[in-house]
Amino acid sequence: MMIESMILWLLGILLAPFFSAIILKIKAFFGGKKGPSLLINYQTLSKLFKKSSVYSTSTTFIFKLGPMVSLCATLTVLLFLPIAGHRALVSFDGDVIFIFYLLGLGRFFTIAAAMDTASPFEGMGAAREAFFPIICEATMFMLLVLFYKLTGELSLAAYFAETRPLALWHMAGSSLFFVVVSLFIVLLTENSRVPVDDPTTHLELTMIHEVMVLDHSGPDLGLIELGSFCKLFFYASLVARLICPFDMGHLLPNMGVFAGSLLLVYVTVGVTESVIARFRMDTVPRFVLSSFVLAFFAIIITMEFIK
Amino acid sequence: MIGPLDTILSLVLLSILFSFGTSLLPGLIKVLAFQGVIVSIVPLLLGHEMATGEIVFTLITMVIRGVIIPLCIYLAIKKVAIRREVEPIIGFNASILIGLILIAAATLVSRNFVVPSISDSALLLSTTITLLVGGMFLLIARRNAIAMVLGYIMMENGIYLAGTTFSIHSRHIVEFGILLDVLAAVMIMAIILQNIKHTFDDMDTALLRTLKE
Repeated sequence: MMIESMILWLLGILLAPFFSAIILKIKAFFGGKKGPSLLINYQTLSKLFKKSSVYSTSTTFIFKLGPMVSLCATLTVLLFLPIAGHRALVSFDGDVIFIFYLLGLGRFFTIAAAMDTASPFEGMGAAREAFFPIICEATMFMLLVLFYKLTGELSLAAYFAETRPLALWHMAGSSLFFVVVSLFIVLLTENSRVPVDDPTTHLELTMIHEVMVLDHSGPDLGLIELGSFCKLFFYASLVARLICPFDMGHLLPNMGVFAGSLLLVYVTVGVTESVIARFRMDTVPRFVLSSFVLAFFAIIITMEFIK
Repeated sequence: MIGPLDTILSLVLLSILFSFGTSLLPGLIKVLAFQGVIVSIVPLLLGHEMATGEIVFTLITMVIRGVIIPLCIYLAIKKVAIRREVEPIIGFNASILIGLILIAAATLVSRNFVVPSISDSALLLSTTITLLVGGMFLLIARRNAIAMVLGYIMMENGIYLAGTTFSIHSRHIVEFGILLDVLAAVMIMAIILQNIKHTFDDMDTALLRTLKE
């Protein structure tokens, strides 16, 4: 059992860049282009790891620590994730709160590294990066309240492992639709995807996440990229487990179903990015707030039925 | 588990939140049209016997509420070519949060009500209260005259929901009468709007203060 969980964890990390490349492919398809190969992210990572890093003289050790800490935080978070509904490597009561603050720690170090460069642009990006996830955190905790109300437990495995998601659908019914949508909005915001932030923009003024990693180079940049692929994988698997809550009873078919639903989530992200333009900076909070509203709304409706 | 009636009612609640968050008039009208249609479906889902005449009345109500009234308002704003923003007094984010508080409060309050309802749906009473108070809120928090009319229509949706679900006999006739009144009111509103527009070149109700004898 432990070995299988370990293999799944490694597979998750190894395949995360592949899944992210699907988004690029979908966007290229919508633009009428051929697009990069599906292995583009591996090529980018290996290219980056072969280079050496350049450090500005105004930076301190915090700047070198940032990418490392944020990647490690994300990898630790994946330990708690029941990948393909299989039992997670580590799990304890209350781990959900630990998980979301680990992600918070990763973000804190990214922000600290950005401030460390003393560049005004990076400070601006850091302020934005700190602002939007505040609302996301409210949403996540609303969802946790809902899940806790439904299951009476506080661990990720209790919500997403094995047949648990199906049980959630049975208990909460249609209000889980709202949960899926709000989780998807959180996914877009936390991973700086298009309606909130454009990862491919070349204008510092409109960047949020990208501006903070401008000064990182070589292996450091590679670590950051890998971390962001894994983070996207984490949120995408939460959504995937909710939209496809079935348990086949065996590991291999489970993995097949899980990969299929993950693919669906990534394709949806790609389609969203292709059909929606990014929002103006002042309308972004309203978009993120709608995820909070949906989560809160799901709680109110569910409370009516579970007394 | 949540049945079809509760799904519909949660869609109504969601449409209230959407209407608090939309900044453009055509969007607001579409949300209200959607709300009108699903509110009129509710009597069909209550799960009790209905005569053919009642079903016909319900369907006619749906057409008036979901198509004719929104179309009238849409044509009115098209004709007078007014600004399309709803000009909020209370901002959109604050409005959405107030909407959430309204829903929560309505849910709390509705538990203390004892009404002879013909359905035991848990959401029915709280949806009704939210529609009524939400309509009032829209009347208070928007300065554009059309947005106010739409708030009034939202209140009317709430009254319809209360009327059809909490009374037993000949309710459709009464509701139909109310609906005709509303239809007349909307048409009069369209004429008055053109006059306001003619006088002020704007739909801002704050300007009406300058009217003197």
